[in-house]
Amino acid sequence: MISARGVRKSFGAATVLDGIDLDVHGGEVVSILGSSGSGKSTLIRCMNGLEKLDGGRITIDDFDVSRQKELTEARKRSATVFQLFNLYPHMTAVQNVALAPVEVLKTPRKQAEAEARALLDSVGLSARADAFPSQLSGGQRQRVGICRALAMKPRYLLLDEITSALDPEMTADVLGILAKLAREGTTMVFVTHEIEFARTISSRIVFLDKGQLVVDLPTAEFFAADGGLAMPRIAQFLSKMRKD
Amino acid sequence: MGCCLAFDLTILTPHIPFLLKGAVLTAEACVLALAGSLCIGMIVAALVTSASPVLSRIAYVYVDIFRSIPFIVQLFFFFYGLPEIGIYVGAFTTGVIALSIAGGAFTSDVIRSGILSIDVGILEAAEVSGLSKPVIFRKIVMPIVLRTSVRPLGSVFINLILTSSILSTITLNELTGSAKIVASDTFRPFEIYVILLVAYASLTYLVSLGIGALHRYLNRDLMTAGVA
Ligand SMILES: Nc1ncnc2c1ncn2[C@@H]1O[C@H](COP(=O)(O)OP(=O)(O)OP(=O)(O)O)[C@@H](O)[C@H]1O
Ligand SMILES: [Mg+2]
Repeated sequence: MISARGVRKSFGAATVLDGIDLDVHGGEVVSILGSSGSGKSTLIRCMNGLEKLDGGRITIDDFDVSRQKELTEARKRSATVFQLFNLYPHMTAVQNVALAPVEVLKTPRKQAEAEARALLDSVGLSARADAFPSQLSGGQRQRVGICRALAMKPRYLLLDEITSALDPEMTADVLGILAKLAREGTTMVFVTHEIEFARTISSRIVFLDKGQLVVDLPTAEFFAADGGLAMPRIAQFLSKMRKD
Repeated sequence: MGCCLAFDLTILTPHIPFLLKGAVLTAEACVLALAGSLCIGMIVAALVTSASPVLSRIAYVYVDIFRSIPFIVQLFFFFYGLPEIGIYVGAFTTGVIALSIAGGAFTSDVIRSGILSIDVGILEAAEVSGLSKPVIFRKIVMPIVLRTSVRPLGSVFINLILTSSILSTITLNELTGSAKIVASDTFRPFEIYVILLVAYASLTYLVSLGIGALHRYLNRDLMTAGVA
């Protein structure tokens, strides 16, 4: 379980996360919605230890990310996929995927590379396994990014707007892979602007507004006229997102 | 007229083995100093970009000091100065160490700017995947720096080769040192220095060809796209 309690984060005078409480249980897909600047990315970055909390606590399977020793364990249990892919430019797709299994999990290189190829194959990239990131399209790069995360066999996937740098066709490819992962029961924390897609794969939707988690509802309730939609702030957000 | 001797390289034939010995010494000193500069440069660049303000300060001071003193002064200090306080290690070793220290300052600067130009997102991806700092440095930071900075590193190395001629001032008969000896033995400074010009020019040209090839190899993924 990922558990956030009273998480606070400021940059200088600006409070970006203002007391966040959130639980993500095994098997859940929790989508985080919210307008630009509401703190979604910051929350993800607190979960994977890239930002230090100014208050509160985040644990991943009871490992506290604020403690250096426990962070290592927490990071073994979670994996992050980034908006801008962040692939290692000097390594081929297979090498990108196999690096952390070899170095962190101590998987023998041959086995790690075979597993990497199988993963790349499962996202339709077997023919591009030996290509460098610069030789791949955006959608292909993001599929490598997903494989790199999955190669660590994480219990939790953290995904921050992983399709927003992609054109619609590539977005569909990548979302198709996520839908498959969701069906297989992968636990995901999914920051997105793809409302309709979030609706189809999420078990819960949470809504961030100015650093506060104002709604945390099962998906059906979130979109119900007497549920989330009854809240003016959410109705306004959804109608704006649908227009864009 | 009638003042000048004819340009005649054959006069130097008997001295070729001696000159070659000097060239080999130059090559040895340069290869060792290259390795030394790279090691020092990597360590210092790692310190400069480290999170520790003290280490980074110390590393900066080293770079600043050795880049602001003429190499020949550093060399004289090591070779003629240090023995006065009991430190003497021989001309060749002194030369290699001095070249490595001076080269390391320039190398670290190239590596430092290479490190700073790496997209932080890449380093964050490496960090959250659980890779340790040393592994990130070895497997991600340095290979990316090498890829982007082979050419500037190559210029530092070429400068190192040229600077190695100064080692002739501490009794080391490397290429320049042996040429000086042959010139005064044969009274043929014109021919001998023509040879010396050609030798250094060919050496650096070959090295720059090698650097170009290495650059193309390390960036081979970008070559087909016609980007770099
Ligand atoms: N490193 C930082 N330094 C200073 N301010 C920051 C930093 N990172 C984020 N912020 C600020 O924190 C606020 C929340 O940023 P965050 O990136 O979490 O928003 P977001 O919800 O992910 O927005 P978007 O939908 O545009 O990605 C913003 O006002 C942003 O400017
Ligand atoms: Mg964001």
